[in-house]
Amino acid sequence: MEYLIVHFPETRRVLIDGGDQGRTGDTIELEAGTYTVSLSPSDDIKPKKRRIMLSRTSPIMPKEITFAKT
Amino acid sequence: MQRRSVPLIAAILLGLFIIGCAHAPINAPLSRYQPNAGYRFANLTPGDNTDSLFVVLTFSGGGTRAASLSYGVLKALSETTITWQGKTKRLLDEVDLISTISGGSFTGAYYALFGDWTFDEFESRFLKRDIEGELTGELWNPVTLIRLASPSFDRIDLAAELYDRTIFEDKTYEALVSRPRRPFLVISATNMSLGERFDFTQDRFDQLGSDLSSYPVARAVAASSAFPILLSPITLENHPSPPGYEQPDWVKNALGDYNLNRRRYLQDKEWMVYHDKTDHPYVHLLDGGLADNIGLRYVTDSIRDADRPGGIRQLINQVKIDTLVVIIVNARTEPSEPIDKKARAPGVARVAMKTATVTMDNYSFETIELIKDIAVAREQAQRSVRDCRQLLAERCPAAAPPPELKEMKFYVIEVNFENIADPKEREEFLSLPTSFKLDPAVVDRLIQKGGDLLRQSPEFKDLLKELH
Repeated sequence: MEYLIVHFPETRRVLIDGGDQGRTGDTIELEAGTYTVSLSPSDDIKPKKRRIMLSRTSPIMPKEITFAKT
Repeated sequence: MQRRSVPLIAAILLGLFIIGCAHAPINAPLSRYQPNAGYRFANLTPGDNTDSLFVVLTFSGGGTRAASLSYGVLKALSETTITWQGKTKRLLDEVDLISTISGGSFTGAYYALFGDWTFDEFESRFLKRDIEGELTGELWNPVTLIRLASPSFDRIDLAAELYDRTIFEDKTYEALVSRPRRPFLVISATNMSLGERFDFTQDRFDQLGSDLSSYPVARAVAASSAFPILLSPITLENHPSPPGYEQPDWVKNALGDYNLNRRRYLQDKEWMVYHDKTDHPYVHLLDGGLADNIGLRYVTDSIRDADRPGGIRQLINQVKIDTLVVIIVNARTEPSEPIDKKARAPGVARVAMKTATVTMDNYSFETIELIKDIAVAREQAQRSVRDCRQLLAERCPAAAPPPELKEMKFYVIEVNFENIADPKEREEFLSLPTSFKLDPAVVDRLIQKGGDLLRQSPEFKDLLKELH
């Protein structure tokens, strides 16, 4: 499995390819692959979506991405 | 016209009329795409069944032998009392998902439809009947012979009618949708053209542009147990996609994952095939055992794959599961093989049988090892994080610790005949035939053995320690 953490100043739902996969700040486990990451609600978020490629992570060193608050 | 030819003409006309009327039910088109409706795990109400203790059952193929063994396990779960989050209940009431193949599909479907009535009715309704004899009897019925001349009616349709009428009370998936409670039932067959598993869920039927709700459960069970050659495949229509149905994001993303994740890429290709309505206007389904005779691949996919709406991976990522339990009921046999005792090479029939079963057995073995590997990998990942955080706290307290990973217990419990302690008894069970007719005394022993093997399992004993 691969490991991802999505950061945002507040707690939001993390949507992976449109599906709810947990919350910001938590470790999310996914198979290796290409994914579209967004947050919900998304009104005050920049960028609205990010496309990432997930591979070669570990639970100690997950991929981390950050969304900014507008 | 001579008077004596009138009855002959009348008989021919009647025959043609019967042939014309003989057709199997077709899967209905879906009028519009409704992700929040239909038979999907996410649409079921949990009730008292918690997410935190998530219990999965898989029932393998193997005719009445498999159906009896899995029924014995269901019965044992109904007799097992647990305490979870302060509530005392039956372990059976925490079962969330049942994934079934072939013979095991009869037990899973009956329980999903009729709940606890199963323990009063299922033995006489199915396990102790001579289904094979009844099907043969139907085949020799003159009306049936005429109906079988129709291109829209085949041997499998006859079997599905018998199951529908005498076991499943004409219930369609609507009965499961309108009583939206767990466990979620996943009956699997094999898509003959793709050679891939085909699950009877609304998510899959969305791809066919079809409404699962009006489809008879008996036909799903028949497809799942349509043993090649003996029974003909079940055919579904691949309808146009309904209004509102769009290509999901994962399909767009997975198309580029050929080198990164071949499994995800192949799922994408499969999705494309179902949406190619021109080249694939029909789907032909065979026994689910050809793609996965354990019923476990739906579960391993659901644990790994975040692309499945309402899948186990989603619940794990949402930090909802504290304890994940997978109970595999595997009715695999291993009849003694005398071929090495003779110099003469085995005949065509034995070679054909081996050709059909060797790969299937090897794949089943690897599938069970796969879920054990997934459980071990999860435990290792949790341990790595735990150990790293502890080491840092002890030796480098100023350093930022790695992010936490939710601690989840993962039990894999297998019920199979190999675990019977007594060698003579073990050999006896490993030599049982695969058929839809077993002596009622053998059925009773299988039911008893299913419960005994579950209770004797070291992993099950560990689980019960946690649940008391």
